[in-house]
Amino acid sequence: MADVKVASHTRVRGVHRFRLAFQIAFLLLFFALLTLTVWPLGSVALGAFLGADPLIALNSAASGQWLWPGFIAIGMLIVPLFAGRAFCGYACPTGTIIERTTPSRGPGQLPQAWRARLRTLPVFVLIACAGLLLFGSSLYLFFDPLATLTRVATILLYPLLDRVLRLAGDVAYLAAPLRPGVDAVTAALTGRLIFTRPLVYGLQLGVLGMFTGMLAISWIEPRLWCRDLCPLGALLGLVGRFAIVGRLVDGETCISCGKCHSVCPMDAIPDDFRSTDRSRCQSCYVCADVCPVNAIGVGTRPHAWTYSPTRRGIVIAAGVAALAGFFSFTGLGRREKAPQLVRPPGARTEADVLALCSRCGQCMKVCPTNVIQPAVSAGFEGVFTPQMDYRVGYCEWSCNECGKVCPTGTIRPLSLEVKHRTVIGRAYIDRDRCIPWADYKTCLVCQELCPVPEKAIVINTADVVTPVGTTLRLGRPEVVAERCIGCGVCSNACPVAYRPAIEVFGVREKA
Amino acid sequence: MDRREFCRFIGVCSLTACVGGLTGCARALQWSEAQHTTVVTRTFGGTPSSSASAATTPSAGGTSAPAAPAFPDLAVTTGSDAAANTRLAVEMLGGMGRFVRRGARVVVKPNIVVAREPRYGVTTNPDAVAVVVTMCLEAGAASVTVFDRPTASTLQAYTVSGIKAAVQGAGGTMKVLSDRDFETIAIPQGRLITSWPLLTDIFDADVMINMPCAKTHGLAVLTLSMKSLMGVMGGTRSLMHQDQPQKLVDLNTLIRPQLVILDAFRLLYRNGPTGGGMQDVKPGNTCVAGTSQVSVDAYGATLLGMKPTDVPCVALAAEQGLGVADLSKLAVAKRSA
Repeated sequence: MADVKVASHTRVRGVHRFRLAFQIAFLLLFFALLTLTVWPLGSVALGAFLGADPLIALNSAASGQWLWPGFIAIGMLIVPLFAGRAFCGYACPTGTIIERTTPSRGPGQLPQAWRARLRTLPVFVLIACAGLLLFGSSLYLFFDPLATLTRVATILLYPLLDRVLRLAGDVAYLAAPLRPGVDAVTAALTGRLIFTRPLVYGLQLGVLGMFTGMLAISWIEPRLWCRDLCPLGALLGLVGRFAIVGRLVDGETCISCGKCHSVCPMDAIPDDFRSTDRSRCQSCYVCADVCPVNAIGVGTRPHAWTYSPTRRGIVIAAGVAALAGFFSFTGLGRREKAPQLVRPPGARTEADVLALCSRCGQCMKVCPTNVIQPAVSAGFEGVFTPQMDYRVGYCEWSCNECGKVCPTGTIRPLSLEVKHRTVIGRAYIDRDRCIPWADYKTCLVCQELCPVPEKAIVINTADVVTPVGTTLRLGRPEVVAERCIGCGVCSNACPVAYRPAIEVFGVREKA
Repeated sequence: MDRREFCRFIGVCSLTACVGGLTGCARALQWSEAQHTTVVTRTFGGTPSSSASAATTPSAGGTSAPAAPAFPDLAVTTGSDAAANTRLAVEMLGGMGRFVRRGARVVVKPNIVVAREPRYGVTTNPDAVAVVVTMCLEAGAASVTVFDRPTASTLQAYTVSGIKAAVQGAGGTMKVLSDRDFETIAIPQGRLITSWPLLTDIFDADVMINMPCAKTHGLAVLTLSMKSLMGVMGGTRSLMHQDQPQKLVDLNTLIRPQLVILDAFRLLYRNGPTGGGMQDVKPGNTCVAGTSQVSVDAYGATLLGMKPTDVPCVALAAEQGLGVADLSKLAVAKRSA
């Protein structure tokens, strides 16, 4: 036994130096895939990163949705049995950003009592998730690290890049010789990093606040978010409790100097220095590097030390979580949709959206017209689910990408033919504000842009009497209800100021 | 105050000043026509090349008689190949060399209003656009730039319409328009619109070729070359729809493309201008080329079974002396390719 351990010491030393390479590779892969998530998608499975997230895959499976990246997710759930939360230390792009932008120091910035309390958190995070899951709310996925980073990049990074590149182009344009070059770059990046209309998103300050918060608490104590609050980390840690292989300390060699304890970025080494909190260890083995006597290695059946909540604690937490789930289940949003809450084409029923959506914002990223926005009218429970906002854009006739990138199946992938017949809403003309109806002037922008082959808006010409008694021959738009699919081109293009005179409202869901 | 404290003080002050300065600069991020409120006067690249002036410069036609106005007002070609139709029509007008001199910068404006495949007849035929690019390059053009301001996202409209691939294949450049390409330009002869944010590229270029396609329109009755010029307008184009005929005529008083090629290979005779159903498209197999937007549109109307006077903006333009819409007064040459 002792021989094995000694042999493994040499192997383990310096492992954490490879970690940075892994982290950079995964971070680049993540952002490369996300940057490629634009129209036209081609056949690359860009949603795979999120689909392979065990937390998201389990949530989808609980609602009966199983996509192929779910098999990767199963693999990821097996890894902690052998390598602890290696995902957190080597692969997670959010973890990389948190780790590399905050001061690298060991735990111990907070008093011992606080740390003891923080250690108990992951269990309760999982119980809270389970309570929401039980009652069909995927709100907890808002805190999933991969969904969070996708959301942050979509809402903050890409709009920023869009504007910066645009401004750089504007500045370079002042020098006439540079113009052909600027035009070439603009043409190459348009629809990819620069968009016809600058990207805008709602809730961007909320997203900024959440991300800054995640980074800020990790300044107090290294990787505080990852260790104690991340629901994916908690799930991987739950499997890690049953680890077969892990950090093993040779009790005879160990001099109890405590150096390993003071450098462990995950706070996974308890005060006896010999056991390991397998629900936190990310297998970076920085502990092995600082050990003055080479007592730390890898071996089977590691000494586990893991916080286990009392039965009383579990019962109370589960009760609270179940109640929270229950009350979200019986909320107003489940009974009636907000009238203008229109979901992207292919979206499942409202109950399914609330149960499945990972709030990652991939659909918002890929949408070429920027019409898919984080929902605010879906209530607190539906925050950040996809919603069509026709003030910003419209559903492009030649595009069906949102369904292809959805990692949860909330938005089903539809073929263009099916999408063209999928009714997501219905346009209504406000005759008190429409230019031909209210101002007695010609206008037909809604009709001319209606993409449905047999136009859903018709212009009927008639003799009309104006308020002052003159008779005019005037064409006025009317919506043919059975042809309208609710794409909102009309609403988006309506020239009436501030609030369009034609607006799309949701249609009743088929049971 | 010691040195370190002084440095810190200076640092904080300059940081504050920078942030304050950036706050002002950040408004530049809202780059839009709002910045271009000052009206600029620009003259359009030249009057449409008359047959007389063309006769003095040797044309690509080569050996044509030097004195007589040899070229017809309108060249109409028919045939089952859009590219061949277009090439023949331009040759009948005297060849591309009549319009494009060596080293000229050429802009071509097809109709790419939305992202629709060519078969729907909603956008200009990509083969026709490609052959025009080729002919311009053959005539020695220094650059051929193709653009439109679609109502859909630019990348999609350019790609789905097939025009991007066709133009790039022919050696032309597809330009994606940005707000910086527009300036509010005076329209001196405008009666209803006296200025509008317009694309500066068409004023910088030596030659502009307008390449509309033939289709119906709910308000303008037909979308031909005059209506299709709205593609060079920036700003809120939806405000064009009240008193549209006069506003279109106003626009056409300033912008007078040297060559107008109407692609009528497919005719979208119902549900224009965005169509989308094959039942609304019928084969036209025709190309009409000319130097006057009004005359080309007048002939184009007959292809869709209308009289020139049925199209309000054409009738109004003829009335206000912008061009000839009476087909009996025009020399129309017809051939089949």
